[in-house]
Amino acid sequence: MWSFILRRLLYNIPVYLGIILLVMALLRVRNPVYAYLGKNADEKQVEQFEKSFGLQDPFIVQYGHFLWNGARLDFGESWKYKGTTVREKLLTSIPPSLSITVPALILTTMISITVGLISAFYRGRWIDRLLVIAAVLGMSISFLVYIIFGQFVGAFLPKQAGWALQPFEISGYKPWYTMASTDIFGVTVPYPSHISPGTWVAFCLLPVLISVIVSMGYDTRFYRAVMVEECNRDYIITAKAKGATKNKIMFVHMLKNAMIPIITRIMTTLPFLITGSILLEIFFGIPGMGRTLITAITDMDYPMIQGFTAVIALLYILSIILTDVLYALVDPRVRLS
Amino acid sequence: MGRFLGSRGARKFMRNRLAMASLGVIGVYFLTAIFVFVGGISMDATKQRVLPKHVPGFLESSSLDQRVEAASHYLNEVDLACRLAERRDEDPYGILVEKHLAERIPARLTPDEYNDLLDEAFGILEEELDGVDDLNHRPELEPRVQRLEQIAETLYPVPAGWDGFKYKLRTFLGSDAAGQSISVRAVYSIKVAFQIGLVTSIISVLIGSLLGAAAAFFGGWVDHVITWIFSTLSSIPYLVLLSVLIVVFFGTIFDNPDRPFLSLVPVYVAFCSTFWIGPCRVIRGETMKIKELEYVQAATAIGFGRMYLLIRHIIPNTAHLMFINFSLLFIGAIKSEVILSFLGLGVKGQPSWGIMIRDAKDEVASYFFWQIGAATFLMFVLVLAFNIFTDALQDAFDPKHVD
Repeated sequence: MWSFILRRLLYNIPVYLGIILLVMALLRVRNPVYAYLGKNADEKQVEQFEKSFGLQDPFIVQYGHFLWNGARLDFGESWKYKGTTVREKLLTSIPPSLSITVPALILTTMISITVGLISAFYRGRWIDRLLVIAAVLGMSISFLVYIIFGQFVGAFLPKQAGWALQPFEISGYKPWYTMASTDIFGVTVPYPSHISPGTWVAFCLLPVLISVIVSMGYDTRFYRAVMVEECNRDYIITAKAKGATKNKIMFVHMLKNAMIPIITRIMTTLPFLITGSILLEIFFGIPGMGRTLITAITDMDYPMIQGFTAVIALLYILSIILTDVLYALVDPRVRLS
Repeated sequence: MGRFLGSRGARKFMRNRLAMASLGVIGVYFLTAIFVFVGGISMDATKQRVLPKHVPGFLESSSLDQRVEAASHYLNEVDLACRLAERRDEDPYGILVEKHLAERIPARLTPDEYNDLLDEAFGILEEELDGVDDLNHRPELEPRVQRLEQIAETLYPVPAGWDGFKYKLRTFLGSDAAGQSISVRAVYSIKVAFQIGLVTSIISVLIGSLLGAAAAFFGGWVDHVITWIFSTLSSIPYLVLLSVLIVVFFGTIFDNPDRPFLSLVPVYVAFCSTFWIGPCRVIRGETMKIKELEYVQAATAIGFGRMYLLIRHIIPNTAHLMFINFSLLFIGAIKSEVILSFLGLGVKGQPSWGIMIRDAKDEVASYFFWQIGAATFLMFVLVLAFNIFTDALQDAFDPKHVD
């Protein structure tokens, strides 16, 4: 087992180095300084700027420098937000992303597994057909349209019509917790305190609901396919022959075996929890990872782009390795190949 | 080709009525795209002013407020022209003709006739309708508004015959904030969607299947390098990679809204360099299986070269996967184009569904749904047809696919 994990880790090191190389190289196709200071920056300014960020070194030196600093989680200072380090930005923008993506993932998974099971249970009957059609229709509408109409129905209409219940806000995001820190054996550990669920409902519930509705189509289809495939396995026939009831086959025998693809799917979405949904964050003005990264890209804030992608890619690769390891734990054949 | 059409999968596909219907829908869209491409709708037509701003489409009757606003637009145009003509001592018609709204050309009248009509109209506007806040709740004023519209109609007659039909087509979905025709823009966007979809999915499928087949067939370091490249690319969040790839082109000649064809190049590059990963993975897996089959071994035993085997025997046997992936990527390209254009990184200088949705974002708050509705509907039908088509393809050709 350990050799398997080690092999996976070693295999992914060049991939990670490749990501950093690719991003750094792409960002240097055009002189980053001109992109930042504008075309008309005078030479002295540019030179000073380049010197202070080590941009005059050969690329390979910059690459090594970035990796060495990155290993210590030091990605330098943001160009746009003077005086703020990329690390601070990272730490402040992860919680808002998580407060949307985590509830969304839990809700989506629970609902779509249930719907997928129902669909597979009544396979070929009208209820299954209806669900399949609804999923395809839902998949064919653009994410943007869901968000725009979600905001319209959830926040704008109640306000305009003066309804008594106006639960959602679409701008002016406020965090729903305050951070405090405590000393445990001399180490400062931050933790959220003063949690106010009302604020979470006002700012985060609507994006969560939209995100659930958008992903329902894809997920339901996937889980239905998984269940239907499991239905045709031999062990189901055996269970039937033994006289197990249909309910027992569905929920005890099948669901247990279907867990492998389900877990894989959930695992592969884990890194995107941190990344957040770029579009939702933009529309709702939530200062999460996705929005911060996209604004950094359009603002040409190079240290931010490099730092953020380095961290996101690392999380992604780690989660892939974790998935592989879980897989290998469940199915020994994977380990040996 | 004949062999392909006679195959069991193809026959199964053709028996699927829903799939054939969706193929028909895709065909109609494709013909429309060709029609636009050969000049059926010019780029100028999409930017031409045809109506006052935010005129609703054919289903919605305007409120009195909106009707007054629309009529005053025409009146003001004529009024401005008349004043300018007076100052320059010219015939107002000469100036007015320049201000035609597509096929709707101002009537040829003498300056006095213009002035009489204008006087009457502004009389109504200033004396009877001015200061009325709750116009929509005062139905007794409707005859006056009708008279106002009549005058506007006399000044700007709606054309009859073929021109009238063309004008109807232009206006039946209303107009956006700049008075541009929503129907023309939405239909023109079909071309943009097909342009991006076809170019990127064809190139990506070709690159992907060649690399995938080569990786699996040759194995060794070729396989390692190719898997390394696609694992690397797929470990960066997709939208982030697309945005970075497009931002690289900022400030070059490809970043120029006045040259819409060139400005699509960054989109092509970004899409192609991320989209090939899907087909590459799938075809690599399939080739792994195929190369162990007896007929490949038989071909090796006969003494065919490896290149010949790959091109003649292996790649053709992954054709069904190429079709499926092509169709999947097409959907992906259309959807991603919309999102990128919304972020301001996609299509520039010509209308696209993404740009229409971006423009319509704020209109929704004033209950104007025509622009977002038109773009969404056209896109929805196309993507739906492609989704059904892809499902049917997978049903027919992919034995692993679950119906």
